Amino acid sequence: MPTARRTRFRGVRAVAVFAALTLSAVVSGKAQNDLLENRLAKEELALAKAPSLYFIIYLKSKTIALKSRGMTLEEWKVTSIHSWGQGAPLAALALNKKSTLYPPQRAKIKPAATEEETGTFELEALELKDMPSRFTLFLTGDIRISIRTKPSGFWPRLGDVGHVVAWNLWVPIKNLAFRQKKKPFGAIDLKLEKKEDGQSLYWALPDGIKGLVFPL
Amino acid sequence: MSRKKKVVLIAFLTLLALFVVIEVVAITLAVPKPAAEIAATLEKSDPKEAAKIKAETAALDKKIGALAPKTVYIIIDSARNKLTLKSGEKTLLEAVVSCGSGSILEEPGGKRTWVFDTPRGEFQVKSKVVNPTWVKPDWAFIEEGKEIPKRREERFETGVLGDYALGFGEGFFIHGTLYSRLLGRSVTHGCVRVGDKDLKAVFQAASIGSKIYIF
Repeated sequence: MPTARRTRFRGVRAVAVFAALTLSAVVSGKAQNDLLENRLAKEELALAKAPSLYFIIYLKSKTIALKSRGMTLEEWKVTSIHSWGQGAPLAALALNKKSTLYPPQRAKIKPAATEEETGTFELEALELKDMPSRFTLFLTGDIRISIRTKPSGFWPRLGDVGHVVAWNLWVPIKNLAFRQKKKPFGAIDLKLEKKEDGQSLYWALPDGIKGLVFPL
Repeated sequence: MSRKKKVVLIAFLTLLALFVVIEVVAITLAVPKPAAEIAATLEKSDPKEAAKIKAETAALDKKIGALAPKTVYIIIDSARNKLTLKSGEKTLLEAVVSCGSGSILEEPGGKRTWVFDTPRGEFQVKSKVVNPTWVKPDWAFIEEGKEIPKRREERFETGVLGDYALGFGEGFFIHGTLYSRLLGRSVTHGCVRVGDKDLKAVFQAASIGSKIYIF
């Protein structure tokens, strides 16, 4: 075969191999997605059958949904996602506890001592504005999800810098320590757009609520 | 540089190097991996099965969709004190309401404690009452510093729950209010207070068995 023809043939073959590999990766990626969607539907159906609320965190779509009976009651948009360690299991996880630096405090009602006091009214409510916007969700399966919102003001920005440093230096070491103990470890960092989003998410997820964390 | 300073510097650099090595190892090992289960699921992936899997997913999604209420239902956002009356995807009414204050009341002597939260989850309308009478529970007397009456009739109070009430179990109601200026605030003992006009619309649209979703 002449040299020019041989070179052209090699070029065509390289393009064909590249195209085949790309196509196979696309097909395989699509198949993987189909499998994950199938698994999500199975897990969600099990949760939706119960008369309660549940949540789904869609990692790829960057969305958190609060649902019941398959209906979305509330949705939060996530602006950025980072993770370390093992991914969350593809099964229902329960929220063991929420941890935050300043947990909201319930007001104690003092019973009226006199007849005059009975008529007076003091508003001591636990409202959305009292909820924290930075907190950690501890889920079963040793999965922790850190929630924070876009900081505004000096102290929140400083706190955010502290979080980034801790996230990139301390969390990997924590993962190492868990590996040494042969315990599973998975950490996900979710950043929401507005402070109120974080506060309403804290409000909407009571301890014990079940949910799914899916790479979809 | 004095010998002492050199020792301190070497010790510092050694510790720094050790920290960097540990950090590099930690970061390398912490690079996100899919859960073992995901990896196993993906290994089983066979493109030939794709159509079958897609059909199964569609059937599962249909089953999930079938769980949603078929008639009018109510969604209450207790954080934002908002009630939405819906039928399928269609919103029929949006109303500003008042939900539980989240406060705590302790009985003097500490025998009983009440937490005034609006319950969360799925409920259904169990009763519908026109011109409801409030049967004051023990906490209402304790809060007012009064003695708990022995006779049931002494607990009755009319006019405070508005024109209509929809009971959804365990003493919780969606009802009217005398304090319409407080709508939008979390001030109740767990019930959901609605303004007169909106309450009438909710009362007329909802029937016994209508679903209520509170979050």
